[in-house]
Amino acid sequence: MDPATSRPAVVIDNGTGYTKLGFAGNVEPSFILPTVVAVNESFVNQTRATTKSSNWLTQHSAGVMADLDFFIGEEALTRSKSSSTYNLSYPIKHGQVHNWDAMERFWQQCIFNYLRCDPEDHYFLLTESPMTAPESREYTGEIMFETFNIPGLYIAVQPVLALAAGYTTSKCEMTGVVVDVGDGATHVVPVADGYVIGSSIKSIPIAGRDVTLFIQQLMRERGEIVPPEDSFEVARKVKEMYCYTCSDIVKEFNKHDKEPGKYIKHWRGTKPKTGAPYSCDVGYERFLGPEVFFNPEIYNSDFTTPLPDVIDKCIQSAPIDTRRALYKNIVLSGGSTMFKDFHRRLQRDIKKIVDARVLASDARFGGNVKAQPVEVNVVSHPIQRYAVWFGGSVVASTPEFFAACHTKAEYEEYGASICRTNPVFKGMY
Amino acid sequence: MILLQSPSRYLLQILSNRIQNLEKGVELDCQWVEFDDIRYHIQGSVKNPNVLLLSVSLPIPPPETVLFGGLPLGALEAIKAAYGVVAQILDPPRDGFNLTLKLNLSKLPPDEEHKHSLLTKIASVREVVMGAPLRAVLKQLVTRTVPSDLGKPIALVHRPNESFFLVPQADKVTVIFPMRFHDSIDTVLATSFLQEFVEARRTAGLNNAPPCLWSPSPPQELKEAFTDALSANAGFVSFVIFPRHVEGRKLDRTVWNLSTFHAYVNYHVKCSECFMHTRMRRQVESLIQVLDRAKPDSEKAKRNSPSRSFKRMSLKDGNNSLGSRSWK
Ligand SMILES: Nc1ncnc2c1ncn2[C@@H]1O[C@H](COP(=O)(O)OP(=O)(O)OP(=O)(O)O)[C@@H](O)[C@H]1O
Ligand SMILES: [Mg+2]
Repeated sequence: MDPATSRPAVVIDNGTGYTKLGFAGNVEPSFILPTVVAVNESFVNQTRATTKSSNWLTQHSAGVMADLDFFIGEEALTRSKSSSTYNLSYPIKHGQVHNWDAMERFWQQCIFNYLRCDPEDHYFLLTESPMTAPESREYTGEIMFETFNIPGLYIAVQPVLALAAGYTTSKCEMTGVVVDVGDGATHVVPVADGYVIGSSIKSIPIAGRDVTLFIQQLMRERGEIVPPEDSFEVARKVKEMYCYTCSDIVKEFNKHDKEPGKYIKHWRGTKPKTGAPYSCDVGYERFLGPEVFFNPEIYNSDFTTPLPDVIDKCIQSAPIDTRRALYKNIVLSGGSTMFKDFHRRLQRDIKKIVDARVLASDARFGGNVKAQPVEVNVVSHPIQRYAVWFGGSVVASTPEFFAACHTKAEYEEYGASICRTNPVFKGMY
Repeated sequence: MILLQSPSRYLLQILSNRIQNLEKGVELDCQWVEFDDIRYHIQGSVKNPNVLLLSVSLPIPPPETVLFGGLPLGALEAIKAAYGVVAQILDPPRDGFNLTLKLNLSKLPPDEEHKHSLLTKIASVREVVMGAPLRAVLKQLVTRTVPSDLGKPIALVHRPNESFFLVPQADKVTVIFPMRFHDSIDTVLATSFLQEFVEARRTAGLNNAPPCLWSPSPPQELKEAFTDALSANAGFVSFVIFPRHVEGRKLDRTVWNLSTFHAYVNYHVKCSECFMHTRMRRQVESLIQVLDRAKPDSEKAKRNSPSRSFKRMSLKDGNNSLGSRSWK
């Protein structure tokens, strides 16, 4: 028997904003790191400039050093702040890996510096967005098997894992719509019995990063004094700490105007350069930030369909016999669904659309036939911030998992093309 | 990162989080595995937030090593010396583990600096336990106690079913590592890495480092003692440790670096593979550029229309998935 199957699998969920990594069988990821790499480019340029120099050894070791001299996660951010020799690179954009060099380095540090495990000892479960091309999966497989020599790999689709997190009922329900709102991508993905209904997936060009940008813009327009180099980070923190979803935007404006003392919050920070303290007010952006999902026109004139409409359209385009089950199990996942009351607003708005449709059809039949009411249920849970990771942890600790993985032997026999598909297996039901 | 650090990052994070949130103590139950198959399990309850149960399991020992109650020689004493009243050793340990410590966080020193260094020490529990016998032998060098079994090799476990060897002498200790790798490419890379490593030791700046040697066959000292344990597909590395390498505070680092030497080589082999992939991608990219430039203009114009232009195959272009095909 492969001894690696007796050890917990490594589960890594690489997101645009944050990477969640840890071992299967735990309830929380060991680390949540910003997906960013800080590389020291100075060595590289140096060696290029002095190719003619005779000192082979210095050049050689400079090259080697440049390859080890990089940081990931929070460390990368602090390094790049304190010194100009490090350049930040974000390996994932809009849920897709776009810089494989940086990605490979990021994984290397995840494995050796954070998890501190020997990749040869563990099966790996990685995740990908539903829009990932098969070629990209092959590429991931190549890196994992060739560089890290892992014994087995499973690449799971993020929304399927979010469903597998199975916090809906004690019995894991594998039919539902996953609304994954992360940092760089928002997907609405219907899943029936563990299979993604590919033709019905809807994507929205608005996600967590856009909310942050919108808040940053609102604060700037109101003339709050925030040091420009810090303003994105401040906006992100303000968003995560103070934003909430309101039920009615006009009423909310009135509430704020009547009792500013109750609603206005203060942000305190220190200027990065001088260390001098400053403070600014946080007002309407508290509810206007999350509002971009429900009234996108306030942020972006190109895309104006509200999230509840998108979800409804998605379900309406799914096979007719799955629709009721889908409305009944709308599962939230990703950090940007964490706003207070987000699920309530979503549920109310979807219900409104559905009820209107039922009413219209009743009217059409002149009251002779009554349609059965449709149950709409938006499921929320405290772990939804890393639901994808948690689902991965659950799935990878079932005994079926190891059999569903592609093994190193298969990779060597057939090549990277085996990574194009992964079976849906029993553990996922 | 060049060297592996001795404290476990995750364990340290768990401990510091616990200390900062003692009053909202939550249920805690985590398991994880580190390189060389060291497994950890930590548990904490809401009822008694100051108490944590930390269990550690060690790699399966090969037949030539000697353990005492499932632990390396001197480990118990080393734990007591390192943690004092903060940790209590439970006997027997939890099922499936070699050691269970009951940590009492209320007994940590109040002063922040000491507290932090003790927490770091707890996070380095594998160094304390696994390094104990090696530390004892190296300490004899400092105190110049002549070991009783002079020149007789000792086997110490460092990976599942694998050991490394010590040959203690009056004024030096020779440490010998049989290097084994599963993958054929890794074996080749590791062999040349080790040869370079030995070469690098000869450069002027490193005169004080321990002398080191690589050879494809086992050194003479070991041949009689351990005939079975001496197969290695990437040769044998030996270091000669003199008293100057273990004086004072250097002892800790020497013990850690030696007892994780195999993991260190493995890490750097993987780094070199990353490094080579980066170069290969760059190479492909520049070749594609050359090809692109060589295309006659008429063809370029044609290409531009419905089908994707050749340039899209460049790795920088985001559509790197296509790149993966091109460098095969
Ligand atoms: N409590 C919170 N309230 C609101 N937003 C939050 C909260 N916590 C995190 N976020 C936001 O969630 C986003 C990160 O979510 P997540 O980790 O799910 O994304 P990701 O997986 O990195 O991205 P993607 O799935 O799009 O590739 C960030 O924009 C972050 O600011
Ligand atoms: Mg995500």
